Amino acid sequence: MTTREAPPATVPGTPAPAPRRRPGLRAFLLVLPALVPVVAVVGAALTSALLLSLGLAPLVGEPGLSLDAYRSAATDLGSSLRVSIAIAAAATAIAAAVGLCLALAATAAIRRSRLLGTLAALTVPIPHLVGAAAMGLLLADAGVLSRLLGVDPGSWPPLVGGRWWIAVVAEYAWKESAFVALVVAGVLSSRAASYTETAALLGAGRWARLRHVTLPLAAPALGATAAISFVYTLGSYEVAALLGRAHPEPLAVLAFRLFTSIDLAARPQAAAVAVTTAVLALLVVLVALRALRNLAAER
Amino acid sequence: MSGGTLALTGLTRVHGPGQAPALEDFSLDVPAGSCVAILGPSGSGKSTVLRLTAGLDEPTAGTVRVDGADLSGVVPERRGMAMVFQRPLLFPHLDVRDNVAFADRVRGMPRRAARARAEEFLELVQLRGYGDRPARALSGGQEQRVALARALAAQPRVLLLDEAFSALDAALREEMHELLADLRMRLDPTILLVTHDHAEADALADAVAVLDEGRLLQEGTMRSLYARPASLAVSRLLGGRTEVAGVVRDGRHVSPLGALALPERVADGPGVLVVRHEAAAVTPPAEGDCTGTVVRLRRRGLRALVTVEVTGDGGTASVHAELGPGEEVPTGATVGLALPVADRWVVAAPTVVPEQPASPAEEVSRRR
Repeated sequence: MTTREAPPATVPGTPAPAPRRRPGLRAFLLVLPALVPVVAVVGAALTSALLLSLGLAPLVGEPGLSLDAYRSAATDLGSSLRVSIAIAAAATAIAAAVGLCLALAATAAIRRSRLLGTLAALTVPIPHLVGAAAMGLLLADAGVLSRLLGVDPGSWPPLVGGRWWIAVVAEYAWKESAFVALVVAGVLSSRAASYTETAALLGAGRWARLRHVTLPLAAPALGATAAISFVYTLGSYEVAALLGRAHPEPLAVLAFRLFTSIDLAARPQAAAVAVTTAVLALLVVLVALRALRNLAAER
Repeated sequence: MSGGTLALTGLTRVHGPGQAPALEDFSLDVPAGSCVAILGPSGSGKSTVLRLTAGLDEPTAGTVRVDGADLSGVVPERRGMAMVFQRPLLFPHLDVRDNVAFADRVRGMPRRAARARAEEFLELVQLRGYGDRPARALSGGQEQRVALARALAAQPRVLLLDEAFSALDAALREEMHELLADLRMRLDPTILLVTHDHAEADALADAVAVLDEGRLLQEGTMRSLYARPASLAVSRLLGGRTEVAGVVRDGRHVSPLGALALPERVADGPGVLVVRHEAAAVTPPAEGDCTGTVVRLRRRGLRALVTVEVTGDGGTASVHAELGPGEEVPTGATVGLALPVADRWVVAAPTVVPEQPASPAEEVSRRR
């Protein structure tokens, strides 16, 4: 057994040992390197967009607080909001359902599918731009699918650039389902097997196990990935621009068009659209966090 | 609630081609309302027996019968069994009450009725008033009580306990043993439990089956196993310490301890004398069956365990003996050893006899 050494006595006249740093301050200092770029890039960009949209940082003229940019973008903004939310909601719902099924198949105690797990993992690093191009080549009226099925381009449904944004939703759903599957499978693979065995021994059949054990265990991960997927899709530009129709435009496409317009007066409107998108995304994140906290509180 | 009769016949499990069987031709009867323990070290195949019984794994050969009905091909949820594992595995998304009500809920019982019944079972495990707590807000012992209540609430024909109390500290384990004894009196369940702890098997079970390397070594009551182990391996698994190699000649075991009479007729030839340390007694020199020198003393609460080296014809032998409460003998002292005839037993000598037998603890850790 060792005895603990007594702390050295302070000699009068020598400086006292430095007080220990508070844990809160230490934690803050540790996250500072990550916090600075986020605040600098996102915070600065959002602030300048907000100032620009409110007329406080005009490209020409005197600064003055006004909602003119929001008013003049209002017509387009309404329809863009609707189409963006619809695309994000549809893609997220499909991605969550497909991703959950993939995760269940990849982690099932019996007949687990390593192939599905690998395919999901391989899909994640493919860039959305590449995915969009592939989806275009697959689903366009002269695409691979119409040729394979031997359908005349004239009678092929307008999947790309059509009214229902099918190719856009399909691309997002495909990519995001792989992301959902990867995260949910990660959670399930470490926990689900022993819990489902316990449930089976308590008399729960396959559906009861899914409903009462597996889905509740997967719910927090599924909720979090669905929220991330929704927010990402809401603010994403390239897929909607490549595979979507000209009007109405999703928020990101509208913002980009206004921002790159030769009419410099359209820039505050672009900023207004960007700020609206950011606020909407923030709201969704807050609602999702609250829901996830409730889920966590239940356990 | 009263349990059913469980009969395991010729159970064999080979995990993969070319692998040694995890369990080989294992047969065991568990009468209704009894508690039978399967005792064995880690990797002996004891958990495999439970998984095959529960239907979580398919046996390569053999049958599991409950009340005479063959359960081959019957899925776990229809076998009428419940299992408590070493980890409590309480469903994290449910509170304590809903965990206990789980079996009734999945059977379609209305929520209110299932919860009322869950309260009854929580009271049985002395956790009345804990129903509203989240599963994670319990201590280890409380979690295992809830797991036990949840299993009992399923009204299983057979309750399986897979090292259910091994992760608890000694005091909690003792409490759980008392609780299980109490539950047995009230509910009369049929219990098959596995453990690596012979003291736990002794405390809980009516009968014990000793398993090692997938084979059943011996079964019977704990008393008979302590007194008459079938082999050196069984003696060691049951915590036997004294092993004196020698030769049986004319009903006597001849070794450095001398020629000691045996309680039963044993065939002549090499044999290892085993005597439980609880049965061996230290006496004044020359009063016992043999005389030796105390080489080690280990205190275990009020009692101490001494190792006495006896030198005689053919070498030196070590004998372990437990002293009476509060008694002490200094190391180096010369003492006598009384080895009651009824407590002497000879088992077959292993093919290679180690010069100095390893202590059971070392033996178990080596097997791991």
